[in-house]
Amino acid sequence: MRALVAAAIGLVPVLLFVLLLSLVDLPPDGPTSPRPLLTADPGPKK
Amino acid sequence: MRRRASLVLLSLAVFLAAMAPTLRWYAFPRLAKIPPNQYQEVVLEARPATLLDYGTLKAREVEKITIIQTLKGNVEESKRIERDTDRDVVVWDTLSYVTGPDGRMVSKIPERYVFDAHSQDPVNVPGEMVDGDPVEREGIEYKWPFLTEKRDYLYFDAQTRTSAPIHYVGTRTFRGLEVYYYEQTVPWTEVPMPKTMPVEGITPEVIAGMGLSRWYTTKRMFWVEPVTGAPVNGEEIHKEELRGAKALTGTDTVTVFDGHVKMREDYIADTVELVSANRTTVLLLVSRLPWTFALLAPALLALALWLEARSRRPAPAAAPGKAPEAVTPPV
Repeated sequence: MRALVAAAIGLVPVLLFVLLLSLVDLPPDGPTSPRPLLTADPGPKK
Repeated sequence: MRRRASLVLLSLAVFLAAMAPTLRWYAFPRLAKIPPNQYQEVVLEARPATLLDYGTLKAREVEKITIIQTLKGNVEESKRIERDTDRDVVVWDTLSYVTGPDGRMVSKIPERYVFDAHSQDPVNVPGEMVDGDPVEREGIEYKWPFLTEKRDYLYFDAQTRTSAPIHYVGTRTFRGLEVYYYEQTVPWTEVPMPKTMPVEGITPEVIAGMGLSRWYTTKRMFWVEPVTGAPVNGEEIHKEELRGAKALTGTDTVTVFDGHVKMREDYIADTVELVSANRTTVLLLVSRLPWTFALLAPALLALALWLEARSRRPAPAAAPGKAPEAVTPPV
């Protein structure tokens, strides 16, 4: 019985993780970049 | 005490055994996604190149031409499409802007590319376009899916507006990264004129009115990092010509563009750095953590069983000659 309880305790965080992933929107949305589509060479990439 | 430790170890073993497949098959498709607000630019060059002078209708060799390719994630559009499609969608508005050696515009082709944020499958919705022409893409464009396979993929060609296989040629090492090398050759095909021409007054209609048609062929090469599916290098041997020009120039064909286009070195270095960092994150989710958990789980289970067995072993017999302690005090 105690072994079953221990196994169930081990499963709880996994179920919580699954629940979290199904509820939270990942990756979080940021706004559209304000930078324009380029019409000139932006120069050397730093 | 041993029994308690064995139960804790059992809990941990169950946690790790359940977490390993969860990370690989549940978390990975949900976490490994192209962000909808990505912004990225790449500069490619062809040195030297042959370019058509529209004023004289003669081809001339120039020192270089530059292709500035920008892609920008359109978050508002992706949210709008997600409401209808019930999947995570990325909308890229892209611009391929070609300039001559003097920095003046040679051509510009805008595109809208809509795809699934994880699988890279195209999502066919109204608004998808190349240079203003509605298209329905098949296959991939710009990027391969996560965990790229050693096989041919269908690749969308923006010039012909069609898809054709891009072939897996082999595995290579590029700047210390293991990459898959892909090649596609598009045979000479008649393609539409760009909507924006480099010379004012010359429009696609004017060109078509002269009886000219635009033809194109290319050999496209990509070096793709397979974990992220991101190309770390790209090249194209690209040729374009106008056909039916005999009445105007005396020859049937006039070269519009001929050059070997390569990613500029600073952008290769930057892309390799970015892809290497992303690769580590994806590998953690898809391979390193699941395998570590899968190996640790049976080890912890074995340890738990061993501790449990030891705790159940009978206590050693009492020393001879010593009377056992009375359970109840003598009366």
